[in-house]
Amino acid sequence: MAGFVAGLLDATVRASTVLVFASLGEIISERGGVLNLGVEGMMLVGALGGFVVTVVSGSYWLGFFVAGLLGVAMALIHAFLTISLSSDQVISGIMLTLLGTGLTTFFGQEWVSESISGFPRTTLPLVGEYLVGIPVVGEALFRSTAPDFIALALIPVVWFFLFRTNLGLEIISVGEDPETADTMGVDVFRMRYLCVLIGGFFAGIAGAHLSLAFSQLWVPGMTAGRGWIAVALVIFAQWRPERALIGAYLFGLLDALKLRSQAISVQVGAETPFAGTINPALDFVMHPTIMATYPYLATILVLFVTVVRFDSEQLGVPSALLEAYSRETD
Amino acid sequence: MNVEIDLTAREDVPRWLSYGTPVFTILMALAVSAVALVALDVNPIAAYSTMFLETASDELGLRQTLVKSVPLVLTGLAVYVPLRAGLWNIGAEGQLYAGAIAGTWVGLNVGAPSYVLIPLALAAAGVAGGVWAGVPGWLRARWNVNEIITTLLLTFVAIELANYMVRGPMQGGQGNFPVSALLPTAALLPDLFGTGVHAGFVVGLLAVAATYVIVTRTRVGFEVTFVGSNPAAATQAGMSTVKVYLLVFLLGGAMAGFAGVNEIAGVQGRLRPEFSPGYGFTAIPIALLGRNGAFQVLLAALFFALLFVGGSSMEVVYGVPAALIDVIQALIILFLITAEFIKSYRVDVTIEREPNDRPAGTVGEV
Repeated sequence: MAGFVAGLLDATVRASTVLVFASLGEIISERGGVLNLGVEGMMLVGALGGFVVTVVSGSYWLGFFVAGLLGVAMALIHAFLTISLSSDQVISGIMLTLLGTGLTTFFGQEWVSESISGFPRTTLPLVGEYLVGIPVVGEALFRSTAPDFIALALIPVVWFFLFRTNLGLEIISVGEDPETADTMGVDVFRMRYLCVLIGGFFAGIAGAHLSLAFSQLWVPGMTAGRGWIAVALVIFAQWRPERALIGAYLFGLLDALKLRSQAISVQVGAETPFAGTINPALDFVMHPTIMATYPYLATILVLFVTVVRFDSEQLGVPSALLEAYSRETD
Repeated sequence: MNVEIDLTAREDVPRWLSYGTPVFTILMALAVSAVALVALDVNPIAAYSTMFLETASDELGLRQTLVKSVPLVLTGLAVYVPLRAGLWNIGAEGQLYAGAIAGTWVGLNVGAPSYVLIPLALAAAGVAGGVWAGVPGWLRARWNVNEIITTLLLTFVAIELANYMVRGPMQGGQGNFPVSALLPTAALLPDLFGTGVHAGFVVGLLAVAATYVIVTRTRVGFEVTFVGSNPAAATQAGMSTVKVYLLVFLLGGAMAGFAGVNEIAGVQGRLRPEFSPGYGFTAIPIALLGRNGAFQVLLAALFFALLFVGGSSMEVVYGVPAALIDVIQALIILFLITAEFIKSYRVDVTIEREPNDRPAGTVGEV
């Protein structure tokens, strides 16, 4: 049992990293007032781009970095359309997801059968050996790929950046009240570009983690809605980095359960009352295709509970989210 | 060197601009997508002429275009109707699957003559699609839960549910192959006068007409448009946004459900996992391109159907992945929203060689 728990925990941590990257990026973007629904597309572009660079160059670090830059390139389109041209953030984002899906399916066909040696699992230098020895959680938390460690480290970094640095506070002011921020001398446009581009970089490396560390292969559409789950997680996290981790682990767990569901069979004995009803019901809820729906259903449930529990002020939605800023309108 | 960009709001849009915009955006999207073709060593002009001219001038191509347009126009309306009320249904794909599952189930399990069975299957599909969209609609209307995320996530659920059905309760192919049994002849949609286009096309046209009438000629349609343009004022005027939001999603979902059953009973003949090549997602650009009215949605659906059919013949002839059409779709809309900016503002760019002194206080130094 301890082995099963440790294994499940391990799979949970692996599966949550991609959501940590993507939702941290989305938090920064939305804190600046720009909703980015293109995460899914940016992740796909990052996943394929990172994979191709790794195959060609042999360096997964280069792949990881290029994936981030590809995310930035996609985000630049979003930033230009929504910040400079005041276009609808929802339309632009959805179309970027469609664009990313199309581009990666178009160019990705020939890379499906390629194999890479992606990020290996390592321990932290110096202290790693001892930390791995911690029962149950040791292997899961401290024997990971480099991006897993980076993701965990980024949570306090982003928190500090947003809430404890001048730049971070300016970002928040731009997302809350751009007019006032502008009067105070904050360059709203530049700040929003910065947020969207950082968000794009994070989405790109989220995708790269998927293809270079988590799966170590490329399949078109491999993000399977994780970008959208990340968008929902941001609401659940109430735009706070540390809370995004909780959400990411929750969905990582569901992902991990799905992957392990083939290996487990739970049935009650034939002598148990209602065994004739319970066993088919168990078969149904444990069926791999049904297990695959749980992360999506759980996202909706969590979103519902979060929204019902808090009104929009308590929830912490950046007040100027979705609003284009322009100086001429009063 | 100093580049200065001046924006002035236009008072009225020049005529050539408002008519030229859709054409211009499509041409721009094709031009940019040509880069992707060149990257794969394909002559874009030859590829596009295969895609459009040969498809449109060929009887088979036209027939296929009309057949493809059925799910596209129906899912297009499924996005268009909520969009009238200012809401996003980006999960028409999932509603299509829900409709396909329910419709196939009725077709396989209800023994009845054709004129009973087909309407029954359509009704079941409409209800299933309506429920699939109604849940996000209700969550949005009653609790203000973001409908973009919920509709999209339910799409994945519906696709997995179809996977489950053809592996479990509805498995009916030979061996353990994950498909349902073939629909009985009574459940199949008849041909329209021997044209090779199935009767679902009529369903599509009726849906367009019904949507047009509802949106432009009824009180409900007026409320939908009013809520869409100004929900606060609509509430002030005594309208119920809850009712309107729920209604548009039920209606839209039902249309996507029709699309699902039409595709099964008119084209596929049995439920297969992942039978839709993303009709419900193409529906989003269709609804955006046709956002001015139901007939524009029909036109956009026909155009995208041509793109779909042409895309697959291009795939056959040049070995270019048909995913190119996804790229073209997205680019059309991205250029469209760029064009909307140009429509509402005059852009004057002046380039001066000598850098101007910056007036004090305009740039905030941190």
